[in-house]
Amino acid sequence: MATQETQTLDNIIASRRALLVGGGAALAALAMPGIAHAASSTTGFGDTDILNFALNLEYLEANFYYLAAFGTNISSANTLYPTGAMVQGITGTGTQGTVLVKASPKVPFVNLSVASYAVETAIEEGKHVAFLRSALGPAAVAQPQIDLMTSFNALASAAGIGSAFDPFASDANFLIGAYIFEDVGVTAYNGAAPLFTTGTTGKTYLAAAAGILAVEAYHAGLVRTTINALDPTGTLGYMTLTQQVSALRAKLALAAAPSPASVYDATPDDYGVTPGTITVSLGGGASVSRSQIVDADPTNVTAFSRSTTQVLNIVTGGGATTANTKATGVFFPNGLNGLIS
Amino acid sequence: MDPLGKLYERRVNRRKFMAGIGAAGATTALAGCGSSQPVITSTSTAVGDSDILNFALNLEYLEAQFYLHAATGSGLLATDIGSSPGTVTGGAQVTGLTSAQQNILNEIAYDEQQHVRFLRSALGSAAVAMPNIDIVNSFNALASAAGIGSSFNPYASFNSFLVGAFIFEDVGVTAYSGAAPLISTAGIAAGYLTAAAGIMAVEAYHAAYVRTALTAGAIALGTTAFPYLTYANQVSTLRASLGGGNETTLTIPSGTTSATSIVTPSAIVASTSANAIAYARTTDQVLHIVYGTANGSGVAKGGFFPNGLNGKISVTAS
Repeated sequence: MATQETQTLDNIIASRRALLVGGGAALAALAMPGIAHAASSTTGFGDTDILNFALNLEYLEANFYYLAAFGTNISSANTLYPTGAMVQGITGTGTQGTVLVKASPKVPFVNLSVASYAVETAIEEGKHVAFLRSALGPAAVAQPQIDLMTSFNALASAAGIGSAFDPFASDANFLIGAYIFEDVGVTAYNGAAPLFTTGTTGKTYLAAAAGILAVEAYHAGLVRTTINALDPTGTLGYMTLTQQVSALRAKLALAAAPSPASVYDATPDDYGVTPGTITVSLGGGASVSRSQIVDADPTNVTAFSRSTTQVLNIVTGGGATTANTKATGVFFPNGLNGLIS
Repeated sequence: MDPLGKLYERRVNRRKFMAGIGAAGATTALAGCGSSQPVITSTSTAVGDSDILNFALNLEYLEAQFYLHAATGSGLLATDIGSSPGTVTGGAQVTGLTSAQQNILNEIAYDEQQHVRFLRSALGSAAVAMPNIDIVNSFNALASAAGIGSSFNPYASFNSFLVGAFIFEDVGVTAYSGAAPLISTAGIAAGYLTAAAGIMAVEAYHAAYVRTALTAGAIALGTTAFPYLTYANQVSTLRASLGGGNETTLTIPSGTTSATSIVTPSAIVASTSANAIAYARTTDQVLHIVYGTANGSGVAKGGFFPNGLNGKISVTAS
């Protein structure tokens, strides 16, 4: 009995099997220039572990957006839910946690666009939780303990923004809060993509992960575009905030960079939104200024890829710098559930 | 008959069809699991990583030429398009932009230019040259087929440019998403998957920009004063008919912020409604879109590529 998810996956498999037959042609002679892809720090982990790693991150994101848009976490019923927003399961293996958040976290939106983006993103991140839980079945990890209150204060302090930051206080604060997550999601899925096994099952997961990766990039682009539109010249300070967050993420990623350093993506591996202060050469013309909606390597313009350890170090605020020790802190005070933690 | 509409007739280049299908020997046919997916056939025996990257390179040539022309009035450097390259028909600088808008055009143009350079560098001597590219008649034909009007000039204004960009960006996402799982194990080890996924993410950032800007314009002005969201959705419907569905049309959010009664949220992300996973298209589906031709085998050119793509993946198998 095929669920909608498995039917989707079946279709993906069917539509690709033909080309996969010929996909084994090795092209060892081709050298990929300028690619320093993050080395795997997950030797010995399987597809299930990678999906569960992603599920932890989706629990975090979905709860943030549900709370911002509707005022309740993903496992709670709410009459405000529009079509597509549903109560999500949070049970599974590992220790199930709760979500720490301030009272009445629903953002007092004044901008219809921003409110709508919060609702759209909440629905989509909720579906990612549901999809991964369905794909994992009984192997799915439980939602771990999540902190969406003191975590932001700690990050703000570390980023030099101030001693406290409330992402649920306003439209702009919500966007900055969202900014913290989305680009990280992109780099996490990008880093995870090559780790899947190369059989049919692994390819199926890869296809799904690539699709989720694209959605995270849509979200990131949405958030960055909106911040750019609200503060086009940077005078309101929102762009500076994104640069501070990006600088902190890059610092945390660097601290957990795989060795040797030659396989690490780049320094920095994160760029905030900027008001057209970067100059580039287009075609044969003179240098021109450009914006920075995209968060990517400035030369090849490919989005960054982070190892699981780098991602762990970001979401735990520096908790992943000791090998073989469970990373805890910031968003995940008790760490992630699952083997990659 | 509208001569531009001929671009949207089904075309069969018999010689290329025979070269692509016949020489490859056995073709593989798979039924689509009882879904609405078309039957997929492919010349599977000889498609490798370099063919997939060259397929992507053709699309990047197109995007780069469109954006560079829109941003600067001229295109890629001769050193970036290979030996004996094709030519570009059309393309013009978008004028009357604010500095913020110009910065956006410059950013996307730069990104796509660098993707061309990156893929050419990765492929080395295996890189295909730029094929003939049409970025004027193609838009007119597409507008006609989509019901927008008999002509469409994406260089007329910033908002027109957004519609032009809309045509490309979501397609880029679906093309890379579809191609990612095709990369070989050796290719994954060589970093091709990371590169392809990284480019796909950038295309999604671009797509999000375009979709957010179109949605914001419609929210601010309404769809009468700001018809561009409607144009984009007409394009989306056309792409769906050519490219196997795989589309999410833009919506204007309805409701109010004060009561948290967002009845219908925005649709910035193009993804499945079931799982919020971005669509993936087969190379055939992408070819049908960029050639502007309906489903069928043997389609070898048309639309944005009047003489077809260069490389092994250039003729539709279904």
